[in-house]
Amino acid sequence: MSQTDCRHKWMMANVRDGYLVTEGCYHCLNRISFFSGEPVPPVESYHEGDHFWNYLGSAQASKFDLRCGACGTQVPLKELMALMLCVGCDPTCGVYKVGHSDRERRTWVYVALCADTSHASGACVPDEGVRALNAYYQGESGDPQRITVVPCRLRRSVDSCQGIVLADTGLTELY
Amino acid sequence: MTTSALIERLGLKTFNEQGDKEIRGVYISDMVSDIIGIKEGNLLVTLQTHKNLIAAANLVDVAAVVYARGKVPPDDVVALANRAKIRLLGYDQDTWTLAKSLFELGVR
Ligand SMILES: [Zn+2]
Ligand SMILES: [Zn+2]
Ligand SMILES: [Zn+2]
Repeated sequence: MSQTDCRHKWMMANVRDGYLVTEGCYHCLNRISFFSGEPVPPVESYHEGDHFWNYLGSAQASKFDLRCGACGTQVPLKELMALMLCVGCDPTCGVYKVGHSDRERRTWVYVALCADTSHASGACVPDEGVRALNAYYQGESGDPQRITVVPCRLRRSVDSCQGIVLADTGLTELY
Repeated sequence: MTTSALIERLGLKTFNEQGDKEIRGVYISDMVSDIIGIKEGNLLVTLQTHKNLIAAANLVDVAAVVYARGKVPPDDVVALANRAKIRLLGYDQDTWTLAKSLFELGVR
């Protein structure tokens, strides 16, 4: 089967465990995050040009790519840091608008979070990755309008956002 | 087996009321980063009562969540589960005892 004819059946591939680390800069107030595969998340502050990045927090998370089980097409999700559930906290936010575009149906919007949290570079999770994530989580038998995944550049403010990040806050919560 | 049948057979506690669902498998995990990769229709057995577990359980469309070892979800977690129509159940004994009972009932 050629890749263009394939109605891809996405599966997770290359699952890596590590930490989602978030840093903020005192000067420009931008935020970035990155995925660390180290056994312990790095917490040191460092200079990078005019930026002075400081550790803000970390959570256990996993990274993955999507691969089609039928044709073998791979969609690398290297820009994806984590998924976040939108709780509809801000009617002026672009993510909220996606979830409330259809009044009849309740769509759960999950935000694909990229590394450039403040989008200073203008880049985000690429469309191809967002499309594959939608196809994967909407499933074959599932309701295609139950889940929608959108890129985080639609989010209005990282500071006021109350979304629930799908990462592990720590096993101390357990006991 | 359906969630209602399971509640009755095992005498599970219910933290909310939601419609009946077919259980297509069982998954045991306390890690959100692990749960986001499971198939839909699983009964999710966990000790993790944090809200982000519900956000993950909704994404993968679980049949229900069972908290083992007498864990009780906080009110905001139950509220989110209600919005997501996810049934929250409770079991007093440990996860292994629950796993054995599920297996004996034919839930696999
Ligand atoms: Zn394919
Ligand atoms: Zn800066
Ligand atoms: Zn982004």
